[in-house]
Amino acid sequence: MNPFFKHSIVILCAAASLLAGASALAADGQLKLPNFDLLADKASESVSITLDPALLGLATRFLDPAKPEDAAAKEAIQGIKGIYVRSFKFEEDFAYPKADVEMVRKQLSAPGWQQLMQVRSSKEQQRVDIYILVEQERANGLAIIASQPREFTIVNIVGSVDMRKLHELEGQFGIPKLDLEEKKQ
Amino acid sequence: MNKDFEQQLRDALRPVDPEEGFEQRVMARVASEPMRSRAKLTRWAAGLALAASMAGVAILGAHQWQERREQEGLEARRQLLEALRVTGEKLDVAYQAVNRPSPPPDDESGA
Repeated sequence: MNPFFKHSIVILCAAASLLAGASALAADGQLKLPNFDLLADKASESVSITLDPALLGLATRFLDPAKPEDAAAKEAIQGIKGIYVRSFKFEEDFAYPKADVEMVRKQLSAPGWQQLMQVRSSKEQQRVDIYILVEQERANGLAIIASQPREFTIVNIVGSVDMRKLHELEGQFGIPKLDLEEKKQ
Repeated sequence: MNKDFEQQLRDALRPVDPEEGFEQRVMARVASEPMRSRAKLTRWAAGLALAASMAGVAILGAHQWQERREQEGLEARRQLLEALRVTGEKLDVAYQAVNRPSPPPDDESGA
């Protein structure tokens, strides 16, 4: 075979697999989160939670249905395949690389993701964006990006997100009842 | 014929001296018998001890695995509750911002 064609095929295959990988990433609702390991050293408080399907399954087995908090959590995570949280607080303003947060925000412009809520507070320089991944009229993913000068949080929930169940978490984790129909943008 | 048979019988039953060293061989065999039993017993005991220690190691391993699994499970549970708490906290921020009453029009006009 002509070497030029051979190389072209290899490059095309590689590009196709990259595209397939990227679309799969968007399709299952999992965002590619930057590595914040170095940032954790600079932060005064940091939360880094990675609950893949296996760990989520393990966690579910250890939830005690007799405890209201656990029972609510068990109910809320039904249909959820993964939960990824990165949250950092700093002693000084903008100690975190904004580009990393923007990189995550950019992924939410992929097809399927819809912005559910956008909050901007100029006084507190606070910004909260809530996105859902809609597939076949179902929310198959949730992303929250909240940033302030001294903190930022990224939450990515993968799987069938039932907003009504999040409703039912009210009082358990400080989650309020959201009138999503009215507030939806 | 009867005479022949009698002779044959006599020949067959005539006393014969044992071969040389027969006595020593018999004595040596008699002496080795308890040793053999002891060796057999020792082998059994060693086998049992090995099996018991292997069972002990397996039980200990299983116990440690279960303990580690339980720790991992409790840690995963803690992380799950923490993740839901953080999620709730951020949803709460959005909720409060959305539900914050907008300032009356008079304020905006500066009157």
